Amino acid sequence: MSDAAMAPSDGVVEGEQMSGGQTTEQRAAARGGSAAAPLLEVDNLVKHFEIRGGLLGISKLGAVRAVDGVSFSVTEGETLGLVGESGCGKTTLGKVILRLLPPTAGSVNFEGKSLFDLSSRELKAARRDIQVVFQDPYASLNPRMSVGEIVGEGLYVHGMTNKRERESAVRDLLKRVGLNQQHIHRYPHEFSGGQRQRIGIARALALRPRFIVCDEPVSALDVSIQSQVLNLLSDLQDEFQLTYLFIAHNLAVVKHLSTRVGVMYLGKLVELSDADELYQAPAHPYTKALLSAIPVPDPTVRRERIVLKGDLPSPANPPSGCRFHTRCPMAQEICKVEEPPLRDVGGGHMSACHFAEEVTPLGSE
Amino acid sequence: MVSDTTAAEIERRRAEEAEAESADIDRTPVRTYWQLVRQRFMKHRLAVFAVIVLVVLATYAIIVPTVTGDAWRTTQLFRDDAPPELFSEDGEFTFAVLGYNEYGQNLFARLGKATQTSLTIGLAAVIIIVVIGVFIGSIAGYVGGWVDNLLMRFVDIMLSLPGLFVILMITAFFGQGNVWVVVFAIGLTGWTTAARLVRAEFLSLREVDYVQAARALGASPQRIMLRHMLPPAMAPIVVAATLGIADSVVVESALSFLGFGIGRDSASLGTMLQNARDYFFSGPLKVVYPGVILILIVLSASFLGDGLRDALDPRQRVEK
Repeated sequence: MSDAAMAPSDGVVEGEQMSGGQTTEQRAAARGGSAAAPLLEVDNLVKHFEIRGGLLGISKLGAVRAVDGVSFSVTEGETLGLVGESGCGKTTLGKVILRLLPPTAGSVNFEGKSLFDLSSRELKAARRDIQVVFQDPYASLNPRMSVGEIVGEGLYVHGMTNKRERESAVRDLLKRVGLNQQHIHRYPHEFSGGQRQRIGIARALALRPRFIVCDEPVSALDVSIQSQVLNLLSDLQDEFQLTYLFIAHNLAVVKHLSTRVGVMYLGKLVELSDADELYQAPAHPYTKALLSAIPVPDPTVRRERIVLKGDLPSPANPPSGCRFHTRCPMAQEICKVEEPPLRDVGGGHMSACHFAEEVTPLGSE
Repeated sequence: MVSDTTAAEIERRRAEEAEAESADIDRTPVRTYWQLVRQRFMKHRLAVFAVIVLVVLATYAIIVPTVTGDAWRTTQLFRDDAPPELFSEDGEFTFAVLGYNEYGQNLFARLGKATQTSLTIGLAAVIIIVVIGVFIGSIAGYVGGWVDNLLMRFVDIMLSLPGLFVILMITAFFGQGNVWVVVFAIGLTGWTTAARLVRAEFLSLREVDYVQAARALGASPQRIMLRHMLPPAMAPIVVAATLGIADSVVVESALSFLGFGIGRDSASLGTMLQNARDYFFSGPLKVVYPGVILILIVLSASFLGDGLRDALDPRQRVEK
């Protein structure tokens, strides 16, 4: 089965469920545009997982190239959507930025300061600014801790040891994420998936971070709950001036929240552009295939459906040249030999395709 | 484009849904993790029964040797193999409801003392096993890398040695007949399984989202281990420990049976079985009594372990 075909399941969030009907530009404009200096800069980030073997598990047999030279920057107040199919390295990328995984090479700068050169004290301080919301609302909450303990943990760790003070801060957070304050002494198993995700969001918010990595925060939720959580994230962004790195495997989910969107394939960024530009005029055949998988909530519309052949190649042994050439409908001889760089194809629209200019908008054929 | 009415409609419906969901939660009383554990455990009939049996045995092991004093080792040659009695001929309270053995020792009192010795050894050995096992296992699992490799190869070496023979050697070398030597011998050879268990739990817990979230919050390694990793890892440890009690009691009995355990001046289930061996046909009850106690301890411990395994699993739901 083509992996691109997995995307539609979440498609219903599209359309009228988003509150207010604000477009991406309006939201970006409300936050002061994107002219400011980048808050987060990722430069040529590489994360390889070594495959070890042999008698003592010391000899190196190879490496899974989960993230293989990714560069981008995120401006304060914007949301960078990051999409790609399972196994393309987007979650790994998020974890390296969060310093949950050690990088193999490259650098990540937060406000101009490298996150990889911090002392453990500096790192702890930096963790206040960079938080995470995980995908699985069942695995991301410690079942043995009450909601109050979970949400208040960051406050405790960072020195708010007064119990009463902490509890009132937690109650405030619960209110802001739309949970009943009475539930502060309840345990995660008593909540539904959507409510648990709200608890996870409250935990991330507790330290008043400036940057949140949302690692597929709605992929594990029912479609009806997805839009609620997305709206919440969007509201909180306005309220707390947050900057998001929004990871998803689904372009439809990313569309409504993102100011810019990056598309990853096999550990590499293949396209990066303003959200609307990317949806209107994709400059990479992979993006186009992903876009064609978004269902249109109108049965009369007939749309071109690009089904990618074959499976995602192994990231331990990626194809030569352009990594997408094995599945690309536009592939030529040069694609097998020469790896296309991520280049500007006009107006800041970045694409890593030799034939980026020849990619037509969806449905134009 | 979204019209205002539908947006308002959706807003209202969402509020209602949230209301309904929280109302649902409000109707159930707050139950802490441990309350849930108790509820789940109480549903496990065999485990509850096992607890009762163990409590009865422990009470017996504590009270009878205290009440009867030295009766368990006082030899009264004129009473060899005497039948059960509550009072002796001269009206003295003896509490010999199981009769006497070939040396005229009060079997009921002796069995109480033996149960006491065996349970003490079982518990003490398990404490050593758990302490060493949790320490080694959590370091190996949390740190990983070459530390893990080194510790686990050491565990492999320990496991490749035949346990009983190592214990025999230790007891033969360091003072035969001493209870604490037996305890340490069992403890020092038995921690490997616990260490492997804890390591495996820690390895998988290290990747769990809530542990990653705690790291992202800036929690210290100690806090992560003690607060987020040890509690969930405790469930299998507790289960292993209850089963370990049974194992230790059996190993002690085997040692004493072979003559390397508790000396003849003390009594354990193993020494009682060994003494009774010669009278297997003439006085089979002397084998049956300690045997039954041994079986009760082992079975109860394993039922208790089963019950705890289910009760400590937070994924198991309790229906009202």
